Amino acid sequence: MPPTREAITAIISEEARIDVEKLKPEETLVSLGIESLDVVSVLFAIEEKFGVEIPQEEIASTETLEQFVDVILARVASV
Amino acid sequence: MTRRVAVTGWGCVSGLGQGASESWRRISAGDGAIRSFALPRDDAASVRAQGPAAAIDSLDTGQIEARFGTRAVGKLDPMVTYAIVAATEAVEQAGLLGHPVLDDRTAILLGCGSGGNATFETGYRRLFERGLDKTHPQTIPNGMISAAASQVAMVLGVHGPAMVLASACASSAHAIGEALHMIRAGRVDVSIAGGSEACLTLGSWVAWNSLGAMASDTCRPFSVDRQGLVLGEGAAVLILEAWDHAVARGVAILGEVVGYGASSDAAHITAPDRGGIERAIHSAHADAGLSPETPVLISSHGTGTRLNDATEAAALHAVYGNALSGDTVIATKSAHGHLIGASGALEFLIGLMALREGLAPPVLNHLGTDPACDLPLALSQQRIDLAHVVSNSFAFGGLNAVLIGRRA
Repeated sequence: MPPTREAITAIISEEARIDVEKLKPEETLVSLGIESLDVVSVLFAIEEKFGVEIPQEEIASTETLEQFVDVILARVASV
Repeated sequence: MTRRVAVTGWGCVSGLGQGASESWRRISAGDGAIRSFALPRDDAASVRAQGPAAAIDSLDTGQIEARFGTRAVGKLDPMVTYAIVAATEAVEQAGLLGHPVLDDRTAILLGCGSGGNATFETGYRRLFERGLDKTHPQTIPNGMISAAASQVAMVLGVHGPAMVLASACASSAHAIGEALHMIRAGRVDVSIAGGSEACLTLGSWVAWNSLGAMASDTCRPFSVDRQGLVLGEGAAVLILEAWDHAVARGVAILGEVVGYGASSDAAHITAPDRGGIERAIHSAHADAGLSPETPVLISSHGTGTRLNDATEAAALHAVYGNALSGDTVIATKSAHGHLIGASGALEFLIGLMALREGLAPPVLNHLGTDPACDLPLALSQQRIDLAHVVSNSFAFGGLNAVLIGRRA
């Protein structure tokens, strides 16, 4: 699976158990109900699929889903 | 006066299918669920273990996801998903979905023997097989043995006492018995009680097999040439409700829980003990105020192991004496396999359905009478007119629980 925005969103959908249709970029993690346990689960799955370890602190300042995906994409693409 | 306790809902999922109606349709017709099975699942190229089992091949969680959202059932251990499926069916049948009693006067007591086998084994494979140094962050919350109680509470909005009881193969019988007394004591008005288990995983399978407890052919309770138990999986949940509370709601009463006896053999970690079994059965009759002379349907523990079946048969003869010939004995593990922590609840549920339908489901795979297990078995589908079911559960480690139910 190439590191596309869609691929990252699919991982978030699976790990946080939220339908892809609800994962709109402008939504915030809070409004989507994505909690810290969901975030570490997503980061675990990203590491699993792309071999990139992303410290939780790096996404601490992200608010919207778009920012969250951007951080992940930047790290995955930089490898 | 003792509060009477009604059963107002039930739900189950096992190799027999999803839902109490479908399960009853199959088991009453003698359509057992034991099939050849291989592990790992869905990987025919790398089979590590195989033999008979009563596995759940498919599970429809669409209705639950539609009602509670995908977060209700996604990424959970199957042990938890089975519990949610069975509990939701039971609560819905009882007409209690969204009812205010769930908020503060309802308990959840679920039995489980082993916990989230699949979840932990996935983690161990990463550590020991692949040499990785991390497991999925949700390994503990998904795999912990109490996860089913927590998730059912969250899905249904139950804020009362909730817990999982562990007593191996008697777990869910203990759960229902303790739920009965919780309602009698006035602590709650409703209890969501039963159990779930998902032990058809490679590690669990190999461990059971190493113990020498598993049959290589099928489950033949009380039969000559029986080899051992056959594993199943799934969940069964009953809604126990204070009688007056159920009557006031005008809900259909499906049956009554009238007795519970529990004992500990304090003897051996695997071998059953006749004395401990007798004590539990006597205790259940005393609790129910029911004479052992009264003809009953006996839903036996009947695992199909040589020692368990012979010991249970000897205990039944000792407790019931000549009256045993007037009883009818069923052994439904021959159809749904051994669901370990979920067995007691499923067998009690089937026993209550049998009273209600006036039909004893047949003991399957019986090849002939073992003189050590000479019991009045229902070897074919049999009409019955009995008011009570005595449901036996005798766990490894000598933890015994016997439930008595009455036809409504």
